[in-house]
Amino acid sequence: MIAIEGLSFRFRDSRGYALRDVSLTIQTGEFLVVTGPSGCGKSTLALAIGGYLFRQYDGEAEGTVTVAGIDVRRQPIYDVADLVGLVQQNPEAQFCTLTVQDEVAFGLENRCLPPAEIRERVAWALTIVGAEHLAGRSLAALSGGEKQKVAIAAMMAAKPQVLIFDEPTSNLDPTATAEVFAVIEQIRAEAGITVVVIEHKVDYLLPFAPRLVAMDGGRIVHDGLLTTAISRFQRPQIEPSAVSNKCTDGVLQSPQGAPCVRIEDLHIGYDGHPVLLGVSLEVYPGEFVAVMGDNGCGKTTLLYSLLGLIKPEQGRVEVLGQDTRQASVSHLARQVGFVFQNPDHQLFADSVWAEATLASCNFQAFDGATEARVGELLARCGLGDRREDHPYRLSYGEKRRLNLISVLAHGPKLILLDELLIGQDAGNAAFLLDLLRERTGQGDVVIMVNHAPEVTRSYASRLIFMDGGQVVVDAPPALAFEQLAAIGREAYLPHA
Amino acid sequence: MRSRAQRITYQPGSSILHRLHPLLKMAWLLFGTVLVFVVHSPWLVVAVVALLVLAFPLAGLRLSRLRGTRLFVSTALLLGLLQILFVHEGETLLQIGPLAVTVGGLQAAAYVAGRFLSVILLSYLFVLTTEPNDLAYALMRAGVPYRYGFALITALRLVPVFEQEGQTVYHAQLARGVQYDVRSPRRFVTLARQFFLPLLVSALGKVDALAVSMEGRCFGKYPTRTFVREVHATRLDGLAVGLLLAAALAAALIG
Repeated sequence: MIAIEGLSFRFRDSRGYALRDVSLTIQTGEFLVVTGPSGCGKSTLALAIGGYLFRQYDGEAEGTVTVAGIDVRRQPIYDVADLVGLVQQNPEAQFCTLTVQDEVAFGLENRCLPPAEIRERVAWALTIVGAEHLAGRSLAALSGGEKQKVAIAAMMAAKPQVLIFDEPTSNLDPTATAEVFAVIEQIRAEAGITVVVIEHKVDYLLPFAPRLVAMDGGRIVHDGLLTTAISRFQRPQIEPSAVSNKCTDGVLQSPQGAPCVRIEDLHIGYDGHPVLLGVSLEVYPGEFVAVMGDNGCGKTTLLYSLLGLIKPEQGRVEVLGQDTRQASVSHLARQVGFVFQNPDHQLFADSVWAEATLASCNFQAFDGATEARVGELLARCGLGDRREDHPYRLSYGEKRRLNLISVLAHGPKLILLDELLIGQDAGNAAFLLDLLRERTGQGDVVIMVNHAPEVTRSYASRLIFMDGGQVVVDAPPALAFEQLAAIGREAYLPHA
Repeated sequence: MRSRAQRITYQPGSSILHRLHPLLKMAWLLFGTVLVFVVHSPWLVVAVVALLVLAFPLAGLRLSRLRGTRLFVSTALLLGLLQILFVHEGETLLQIGPLAVTVGGLQAAAYVAGRFLSVILLSYLFVLTTEPNDLAYALMRAGVPYRYGFALITALRLVPVFEQEGQTVYHAQLARGVQYDVRSPRRFVTLARQFFLPLLVSALGKVDALAVSMEGRCFGKYPTRTFVREVHATRLDGLAVGLLLAAALAAALIG
């Protein structure tokens, strides 16, 4: 079905090749998973199979790509699009309309199909992804998993022969992730199409026994069955023995000293919709807390309330002895660091060094010790010789490291992290987590919203699970996972 | 729960105004706007304002809860007051020292404030009761090139996304101790760059993803496209067209 011969590609203004002499043959109906570290070239490969790489991006290309006998480098994109559908990472970013019906019909309307046929195909596509009940809904009202199902249906409606998924679950919680992968397998089984999934979380795909291609530095470095290579490519490769100092055999150690965070009966809502409904908890110095739960359960709002970005409507939030209602955000921020979800939303300076020291300078806390600390952190993160580069020239993984350094630089006592590990490969994830564990070892507190149960198991001393704006589980990870299993939240359990 | 003034965006509902065809509502908007500027009688303008105020409860909306109501009402009052103070024509109704309230002044006040209120209220009614997506599709069905129609839809989709991203960037800046103190033009430029650069980078990423998504679904393959969305004219629309024509005729006759 797909034949790639000696494909190399270098983006304009880029020093290295994104793809280097890639040769790959994919059979009709095959289920192929492509994995590898961030920046290894797997998304570029997806763009190449769909033909977009040669039309929308400037660069030098060599080699051939054929799909069902069509040379995608020469053929108009519209012809390739009839054969190949590409589902991208972020469902929000790929929507072209405002409602489910319009979105699934969009590609068919552009192909000038008669309305009666479009209606039939829309109904079929929504059924095959298990989203027929969403037909009349507005896209903005859907959950992350539902949005991705609609994005898949929108591609399926054109009845392609090949469907490519570029990290389709990176923005989703574990429940939605499991749902989306089940849909992908169902499509392959029922529609008999060739499926290519670009993914870090290969362990989720194990039940489907796909073929696995691993890439590194633009080359294919492994090609075989996932089942035989799972131990090598499972994510993230973190030793279970590397457990935080506070985690014991199922009970929280008795707290020492004054709590760093004290929340009492916290209620918060937006525009009439309740988000947090009576959250109460205390967090003590040295704790590494993982906050988990479905998207929309109030995790991010909880973090926002700790920096005073959102004030309580009812109840009380005290951080390092200060009531967030009384203290200003800029005052709290001196001791509370916050890494937001999207790396690009928090890069403000003109150089890596200026970015890393921005908060220290703003807080007038930049001194010799800070300078030495930032220098050391940058060197350890592999950014030591990139000090003068613009932050936007860094790779995704490097940006994430810089985000963390720029928050750690002024030495906050409470570190809040909102899905720090999204889109991170195993190496990057472990590196960032090790940096954080050092801080909890020194008595700082880390509260991390996180979707990876393996990370929680290996790094957190405590797991807080939220549902419907309330804390439903709060225990050390081992015990918390037992409690999650008991309430039917298997998607949140670490893979064996 | 935090209670905020209602935003000036589409408010879902099933009132008569909600059910009218979007293009017909647009025609009424244009007619109403032209009408209040061409009629000579200030009292007719006041009547239009009264009708529009009555239309709000009919559409299930409460003017007092809408964002901006206080601002435009006080602006209208100020405009009216200025006319009363400075236009001295016709019979004097009230004299307080050097200040005289005349019939001409009152008429001018009703005329200017009424026009202003009419245009605002008409626009509010249109925006609050018309689903923008329906409007975009109706315009495309009526012959507006679909590229323009989808430019409108994309804007509608991305405005709330950028609004939210702007809020996140602002929060991220606060978290890093960025102070919004505009001490000098240079500082202003730095702050503006720090705020807009993240949004610009994010927008460029979105444009890339959207371009792949649109081309991958054959957007632009043909000069025209089909539409699966049905927009039927109803009896209500027929009635509204009749009323529009009658109103136009009456306005022409009354002058």
